[in-house]
Amino acid sequence: MTRRNAGWITLFLLPTVALFLAIYAVPLGITLYTSLFDYRLFPSRMDFVGIGNYVQLFTRDTQFHRALLNNLVWILLHTTVHIAIGAILALILYKKPRGWKAVRVIYMVPSIISNAAVAMIFANIYNPAYGVLNSFLRGVGLGELQRNWLYDPATSFISVTMIWTLFSGYNTTLILSQALSLDDSVIEAAKVDGASRLQQDFLIVLPLVKPMIATTMIMAATYMLQMFDLIYLTTRGGPGVSTTNLPLMLYKTAMAENNYGYANTIGVVIIILGVVFMTLINRALRSRED
Amino acid sequence: MKKILSLLVAALMMFGAVSALAEVVLEYPTFQVGVNTAAPVIAQLVEEFNALNAGQIKIQVEEIPGDANYIEKIKVLLASNDLPPVIYGAGYNLLDLALANDSLVEITEYVDADPDWKAMYNDKALEVNSRDGRLYGSSAEGNTIGYFYNRELFEKAGIAGPAKTWDEFFQQLETLKAAGITPLSMDTADSAWVTSLWMGAMIATAGEEGQAFMGQMMPDDYNTPEVIGALANIQKMFMEYTTVDAVGGKYENAANAFLSGQTAMIANGPWMIGDFSDATKAPEGFAEKVGVAIYPEGFAYDEPIQGYLVTRQADPEVEKAAVEMVKFFTSAYAQTVALENQGMLPASTQVEITQAAKDRYPLLAEFVQALEGADIRTATTQATMYPNLLDIMSAELPNLASGAMTPEQFAQALTDGAAKNK
Repeated sequence: MTRRNAGWITLFLLPTVALFLAIYAVPLGITLYTSLFDYRLFPSRMDFVGIGNYVQLFTRDTQFHRALLNNLVWILLHTTVHIAIGAILALILYKKPRGWKAVRVIYMVPSIISNAAVAMIFANIYNPAYGVLNSFLRGVGLGELQRNWLYDPATSFISVTMIWTLFSGYNTTLILSQALSLDDSVIEAAKVDGASRLQQDFLIVLPLVKPMIATTMIMAATYMLQMFDLIYLTTRGGPGVSTTNLPLMLYKTAMAENNYGYANTIGVVIIILGVVFMTLINRALRSRED
Repeated sequence: MKKILSLLVAALMMFGAVSALAEVVLEYPTFQVGVNTAAPVIAQLVEEFNALNAGQIKIQVEEIPGDANYIEKIKVLLASNDLPPVIYGAGYNLLDLALANDSLVEITEYVDADPDWKAMYNDKALEVNSRDGRLYGSSAEGNTIGYFYNRELFEKAGIAGPAKTWDEFFQQLETLKAAGITPLSMDTADSAWVTSLWMGAMIATAGEEGQAFMGQMMPDDYNTPEVIGALANIQKMFMEYTTVDAVGGKYENAANAFLSGQTAMIANGPWMIGDFSDATKAPEGFAEKVGVAIYPEGFAYDEPIQGYLVTRQADPEVEKAAVEMVKFFTSAYAQTVALENQGMLPASTQVEITQAAKDRYPLLAEFVQALEGADIRTATTQATMYPNLLDIMSAELPNLASGAMTPEQFAQALTDGAAKNK
């Protein structure tokens, strides 16, 4: 790199670096800093408490424990079951059965609808008075199974989970695109060696699309770490805290409880969790690649 | 000639530009839009205010459907010091929140300078809108609340009229249920307005202690026999006497259940009276089927809610314009408009219940008469509790309703929530 090039590169990088500093780095620094304070806006108060907020969060705050557990379970389900559904469908469509393009498009539809609309659709599906689910149960003679799906403490968590777990259209599309770009000769060679269809899928195609699966897993984990709107628009985290996750708890702590220092402590935990999950997933899949 | 015309046009354009510049625009976010019972009244007042102040002040409405969404938006704007010039307290105690952030304009001087405006305040209105002798708000709504019942369903179940005691009330619930009628409209979402009215009425009528609890501003301790007793009744009401969608349902669900004749009773204020004869909300002739009552044991909610508040703005002209808006929106004229077009009882005793209102809403006259029997009167629980408890109410009521939480645990959750404000 010549001195002249270095100058140009620095010049072109400057806006990006400035934007990064202004939009991410500075707020991140403020978040970290204020997480060490009892920081409230009305009435304005900012008392240094050191790691007091973190101690409270991890040792005494049962709501946080539940929100963290919910978040971890959702991340686990989203990076395994959700991705598995997407990958299996991609492997099926990879064979280009009749109507595969139509299936690919139809399965993608829920992923392109806004989350607000999805939340409204499911709120109506689960509605205890006129919802499709209870109507179906009544119709097939299973009326005794009817419930207030979103607000019964026994079913609220699984009902919310089902809103996003089954629809894996993005992952199917991404994994399928990589599978379709594979060199046909690899599959042909496997066929010549007598590999069954299942063996071709799981021993040849799947390992070759692993980098894309890793990408979708990271996306799934971060999606779950950021999940807010679907929960907010269906249960608002209730009953109690049964469907509360960390972003929702952060929001309520700041907005309802006016406790911005504590909310920022939760924010720091979310950031750390994000970094940890990305590192773990990357490492797990890289070691297998090696 | 062309030159003269051009100069004239230019002058007119300049004049237009100058008047446009001089006009103060008041951005006014409000939840009183759409299906909200006050929507037509607010729309009329905005239109009339804009016409009266054409070229000087213009209110620009931002529609935010749903009280809870409005309150959350105001809290976000408060946190970012970006409040609109006028906010509406709406019984959610925004005054203390905004005052703690030093975001309110004291309006004592403005009110003192206008005898007509000053005359609109009675002692209670002064109390709820003042802090440390300084006036910050101006009320328009009386917030006098009882409950409505469906006479036809009552007759069908063989019930003569509203209950005088809570024992009789629960017997009526049982009688209605036995007759195949869902007795109550209830809700849990969006701060559980309807449910908390039943709850507060039971607390207020549980002896002197209960009444004293209801008289407290921002109570810290909900672990009292009166509150726990009321919660036990609420639990029973959810389990046995309400609709399947009450848990998780909003006020709108509760209102629809009553307006469609599905339930026999709903707790709410007279501002709902207009809905009974609104063909888009209730079947024709529904208004004739509805009766109104105060709560058992001679109780009614009766305290003006915190009204319109003027917030600090960078431009003093905007603050002055905001004061003008608040003065107009809480004037005797505005309260009369709300009375005659919505059935809203006025905040000020200076505003008479007009014959036009009585003719249009006979139920309102009936309610005013029933109020004479209300020996116990307090504010609502929502107007006095810490704002963060509204969220806890909505979150925990489904647990109480399902039996996953005991009344004692619920009371403790509210106490814990109140402690977070220290």
